[in-house]
Amino acid sequence: MTSSTIISEPLTANRDLNSNSNASLTPVPGSRKEPPPEKASDIRRRSFIILSFWLIVLFLGLPIWWKTTTIYRANLPLQEMLDWADGKACRPVFPLRIAIEANSLHEQEAHNLLRLTQHALDDLNDFSGHHLRLQLSPPSTEKKQDSSHDAALTIRLVPGESSTSTLDPYAPVLNITYPPNSIPSPTSSSSSLATYVASQLRSTFAEEQAIISYLLSANFIPSEHRPQGLAPEAADSLAKRTTRSLKYAPTYHLTFSLFTSGPLPSSWDIEAAIDEYMKPVLDLLSPIHNFTIDTQVQLYATPGVQNQVLSKEDLSSFINAAEWPLSPSIGGAPTINFVVFVGDQTIMAPPQAPEGSDVEAPTFQSFLIPQWGTVYLVSLPHDVPHVSVETLKQPLLTFTSHLLSLTGAPQSGSLPLRLSTLARIRSADLLLRASSTLGSLARLALALPSIAIPSSVADGVSKTMSHLRLACETLGGSEGLAHARIAEAEAERAFFEKSMVGQLYFPDEHKIAVYLPLLGPVAVPLVIGLLNEIKAWRKRRRERAEKGAQKKAE
Amino acid sequence: MRQLFSLLLLSLLSFVCSASSDYHEQLVLRPLPLSALLASFDFRSNITLSAFETHNFRFFPRSLGQILQYANTRELHLRFSLGRWDAESWGARPWDGAREGGTGVELWAWLEAETDDEADHKWLTLTNALSGLFCASLNFIDGTRTTRPVMSFQPEGDHPNSTENMHLLYGVLPHEVVCTENLTPFLKLLPCKGKVGIATLLDGHKLFDASWQSMAIDVRPICPDDGECVLQIELTIDMVLDIERSKRPRDNPIPRPLPSHELMCDTSKPYHADDTCFPADYSANQDWTLSQVFGRNMKGICPLTDPAVPPVCLQVPHSRRVFVSSGVVEKKNADGTSRCFEISPKADFEMIFPRPEKTDGEEGNAAQAEIALADVVKPETPLLYAERSFTGHGQERGGVQTILRNPSPDTEVEFIYMESLPWFMRIYTHTIEAHVGGESKSNGSLIEEIYYRPALDRARGTQLEMRMRIPPAATVFLTYDFEKSILRYTEYPPDANRGFDVAAAVITILNRGEERKAAYTLRTTSLLCSLPTPDFSMPYNVIIFTSTAIALAFGGMFNILVRRFVAADEGPEAGLGKKLSAKLSKVLERFRKKKTAVEEQK
Repeated sequence: MTSSTIISEPLTANRDLNSNSNASLTPVPGSRKEPPPEKASDIRRRSFIILSFWLIVLFLGLPIWWKTTTIYRANLPLQEMLDWADGKACRPVFPLRIAIEANSLHEQEAHNLLRLTQHALDDLNDFSGHHLRLQLSPPSTEKKQDSSHDAALTIRLVPGESSTSTLDPYAPVLNITYPPNSIPSPTSSSSSLATYVASQLRSTFAEEQAIISYLLSANFIPSEHRPQGLAPEAADSLAKRTTRSLKYAPTYHLTFSLFTSGPLPSSWDIEAAIDEYMKPVLDLLSPIHNFTIDTQVQLYATPGVQNQVLSKEDLSSFINAAEWPLSPSIGGAPTINFVVFVGDQTIMAPPQAPEGSDVEAPTFQSFLIPQWGTVYLVSLPHDVPHVSVETLKQPLLTFTSHLLSLTGAPQSGSLPLRLSTLARIRSADLLLRASSTLGSLARLALALPSIAIPSSVADGVSKTMSHLRLACETLGGSEGLAHARIAEAEAERAFFEKSMVGQLYFPDEHKIAVYLPLLGPVAVPLVIGLLNEIKAWRKRRRERAEKGAQKKAE
Repeated sequence: MRQLFSLLLLSLLSFVCSASSDYHEQLVLRPLPLSALLASFDFRSNITLSAFETHNFRFFPRSLGQILQYANTRELHLRFSLGRWDAESWGARPWDGAREGGTGVELWAWLEAETDDEADHKWLTLTNALSGLFCASLNFIDGTRTTRPVMSFQPEGDHPNSTENMHLLYGVLPHEVVCTENLTPFLKLLPCKGKVGIATLLDGHKLFDASWQSMAIDVRPICPDDGECVLQIELTIDMVLDIERSKRPRDNPIPRPLPSHELMCDTSKPYHADDTCFPADYSANQDWTLSQVFGRNMKGICPLTDPAVPPVCLQVPHSRRVFVSSGVVEKKNADGTSRCFEISPKADFEMIFPRPEKTDGEEGNAAQAEIALADVVKPETPLLYAERSFTGHGQERGGVQTILRNPSPDTEVEFIYMESLPWFMRIYTHTIEAHVGGESKSNGSLIEEIYYRPALDRARGTQLEMRMRIPPAATVFLTYDFEKSILRYTEYPPDANRGFDVAAAVITILNRGEERKAAYTLRTTSLLCSLPTPDFSMPYNVIIFTSTAIALAFGGMFNILVRRFVAADEGPEAGLGKKLSAKLSKVLERFRKKKTAVEEQK
C-alpha cells in the first residue's frame, strides 16, 4: 500500500467488466490488481446510508419546503359561487301582494271577483319572475293599516257609473270605480270588471316588470325567466336609464354648488330653498337612502366651453373638472353634484329627440350627467349679489326630479308607488351585483393558482352567500333589500381584500436562480448515488441468478 | 421689524374682529439686503361654526372643510417649505416664524378623540385625505414620522370647551420636494382663485425658483368676546426672491456673462484696472418692477376682500421713491418705514421701484454700502441664531451639533428645542450636553428640562424636547452622539446612497411675560444622514455563496460515506485523460471493426 495512493472508486463499479475490458484494451499486465471482495455488511451499510439520505430528503426536506413556500388558499365553494353568478342558485321571484278593498261587495262576490281577476292576471302575465298575488283585505277599517303595510298596492273598489281608475298621489292605492252591473255572478267564468282590474294592474306594474326583466337578462340568462316581449327599443331606453342611475349606496352625499363666471353673486339662500323644495322628497326616500347635504359657492369659474349657445356635444365638456373643486366627498358614500351655474349661456334645443346619447337635453336650462349629477344654467343680471329662494325654485325642482332618476326610480306612477318599486328594483340589482361579484371572485381564484386567498375572504364569501339566500327568499320586501345590501357589501369586501390585491410576483427565472445553486450540487451526488446503487443491486441479483442457474445446471 | 410685523398682525387681528367681511387678502413687500425681496401673501377667510356644521361653505373651501369634519380636526397647521432663511443677512423671520416649516412638508393638528388609538386613526384619515387634496406624499406620515409634542406647540385658536379630548399630533416629511403641483390646489382654496387680486402674482415658476419659500395653511377656531365663534382659515405664502434671478426673462433663463462695460466694479480696490474687476456689493439697490419680479401683472383686486385692508403694502423708508400705475393711491404709514396702496378693483396694478439717486458714483464701497442700507429697512436682529450639523465620521456612529447664539447683549433667551429623529438614528442620551462657547466643560444649568421618548424600531421615532436658557451674548453648543442602525433590505429607498433626510429641529422661544405662548419660532435646516448601504445584489450573492459551501460540504461528506476505498493499483484507471483516451480507443476500435466487416462483405 505504500507505493499506491488511495483513490476513490465509484461506488460498486462493475469492476469485473471494467478490468476485463481494460485488460483487453490496454495490455499492461500486472499493473492492475483486483481489490479484495467487499464485505456484505459494507454493502448493506452503504445501501442504508443512501436510503436514509433519501428518506430524509423525501420525508423531511420536501414537506418543510412545501410548508414554507406554499401559498395559503382558503377553501372557497367555487362551484356554488359560479352557480350564483349564473343564476342557477336563485330564481328571483317578486311575489307582490295586492290587497283588494271592496267594502261595498258581499264576501262571496268579492271572492269570486278575486278569483277571476287572478285568473285574468295569470293569463296576461308572461314573466314568471314577477307575481301579482291578490288577496282580499278584511273590510274592517281598523285592520286596514296593517294589511296595507305589507301589501305593495291596495285596490279600492268603489261603485260608480263607469270603469275608471286613478292612482292615489299620496299612498300606494289604486282607486277603481265600477258600474254596478259589472259585478260577476258567482257562476260566470269571465267578467269585464275582472279583466279591467287585471289590465289596470298590469299597466301599473308594466314598467317595474320591464326594468326587472331587463336587469335579469342583462346579468344572467336562464331562458325560462326571460320575458318574451321586451322590444329592442324598450330595452334600449331601459339600458340608458340604468346606465344613468348611480350605483346603489345606503348614503348619498348631495353637493349643491353655485358657480359664477364673475365675482357676483357670491351668496345664496340654498338652505331655505332645500328645506322648501327638496326636503319632502328626501324624507320620502329616507327608508331606502340617507342623504347628507353640503353647499358651496365658487366664484370666477370658467366653464370648459365658452360658447354662448351650448350644443349637445358641448355639454359633455362643460364641467371644467380641472379647475372646479367638485371633488367627491370624503367617506364611502358616492356624491351627487347639483350645480347652479350663473352665466348667460343657454342650451340649444336638440333638433330631434336625442337617441342613445349619454347627455339628456330635454330643456333649455339644465342637463343631467349620468351617474354624476345635474347642471342648471341661470342667467342673472350682473350686479345681483345674492341669489334668492325664488330664483332657486326652478333649479331645485329640476334637481329633485333628476335626483329620482339618478337613484333609478321608475318614471311612471304615483310617488309612493315609484318609491316602493325603487326598493324592489334596488334589491334585485344588489342581488344580481353580489352574485356577479361572487362569480368574478370564483373565476379569479380559478384563473390565478398562485394568488393567496386569506381566510377573511372565505368568511366574506360564506356571509355573502347566506345573506344572498335570505335575500332571495324574501325578495320584494324590506327585509330582502336589507339582506341584499349586506350581501353586496360583503361580496365587495371579499373581492377587494387588500392582501389579495397585492399579489406576489415570482417569475420562474427568479425561482431557478434561487433553487439551482443550492439544489443542483446537492441533488447530483444524491441522484448518482441512488442510480449506482440500483445498478449494483440489479447486478448482484443477476449474478445471484446466474450462480443459481449454474448450480442447477451442475 | 418684528414689532412692526406684530403691529401689523395686531392691526390685522383687530380688523378681523371688527370686520363685517369674512375675507381679506394682503401682500406685503419688503426689500431685503443683498438684492433680495420678501413677499408675504396673506389670505384669510372665516366661516361661522354653525355654517360649518351645516356644511354651508362660502369662502371656506368645501374640500378642506369636509376633511376637517371627517377627521374631527379642531385646529390644523400645514406647511410646505423650500430653501433656507438666511438669518445673518435677512434678519428676523416674517410672522415671527409662526408661518413657516422646515424643509419639506410639516403638519400638526389638534384632533378631538376619546383615546390615543382613535386619535391615531383619525390622524391617518387626515393625512391620507390631505395627501389627495394637496398632491403631496402626506400619506407617508405614518407612525414612525408622527410624534406628540409636549412643550413645543400650543393651540393658536380658542377652544373654549373641548380642551381635554384634544390630541396634538405632529408629522414631518423632510424629503418631500415642494413644487407646482402643491401650489395649484393651494390656489383652488382661495375664493377668488388665481383669477384676480394679489393671487395673480403667484406663478409657480417664480415661487419655486425663490431662495426661500414657505406655504402655510392654518385653520383655527376664533371666538371673539362679542359674537359667534368662527373657524378661520389663513393661507400664507412667504417667499424671498433673488431679484437678479427673478428678472431673468422666462424664455432665456440661463445666466450669461455681462459685457465688461456693464459690470459693476469696486473702483476703490488698488488692483482695479481695465481687465480686473472686484464686484461692487451694493446690489441691494437693484431697481425692479412688479411684473419683472413676479413675471406677471397684478390684475385688480378681489371684490370679496375687506375694503378696510389695503391689498398691497411696501416696507421701505419714506425717502425712497416708488412709481405706481394710475388710479392707485399711495398712503404712507406713520411709522416712517411702510406705505400701502389703495387699488381700484378693475385696474391692473404695476409698481416701479427705481434705483435710488446716487450721490456720487466715485465714492468708496463703504459709503455705497451705507447708502444701500439706508435704502432698505434695516433688518431686525432675530432673538436667536441656530445652526445644526452632523459631526463624526464613518458609517457606524455620528454626532449632531447645534450652535445656538443669543445675539442680545442683555437679555437671556428661554426656548424649547425639539427634535423628531427617525428611528434608525439611535441617540445616546447620556451624551447630550450643552456648553457655552469658550468653556470646555458642559454647563448643567443650560438645559432645564428634557422630555425624551425613545424610538421603537420600525414603529416610532425619537422625540426629544429640551427647555433651555441661554445667557446674554453667549453661544451654546448642544451636542449628542447617535448610532446608525442597519436597515432591512426592503426598507431602503431606491436612492439609498443619497442619504436619509432628518427633519429640522423646531426651536420655540417662549414669551417671558405670558406663559405658554411662543414669541418666536425658528427651524434649523434639515440634515442628510448617510446610513451604511448594502450592495443590493447581496441576496443572490448570499444564496450562491452559501449554496456552494453547503454543496461542497455535502458532496464531500456524502462521497466519503458511500464510496469504497481501495489501493490505487486496485481501482480502475483514474484521471480524466486516461479515461478519455480509453473511450476514444474503444470507439476507434469499433469503427475499425465495422470497416473491416464492410470490407469483408465486399
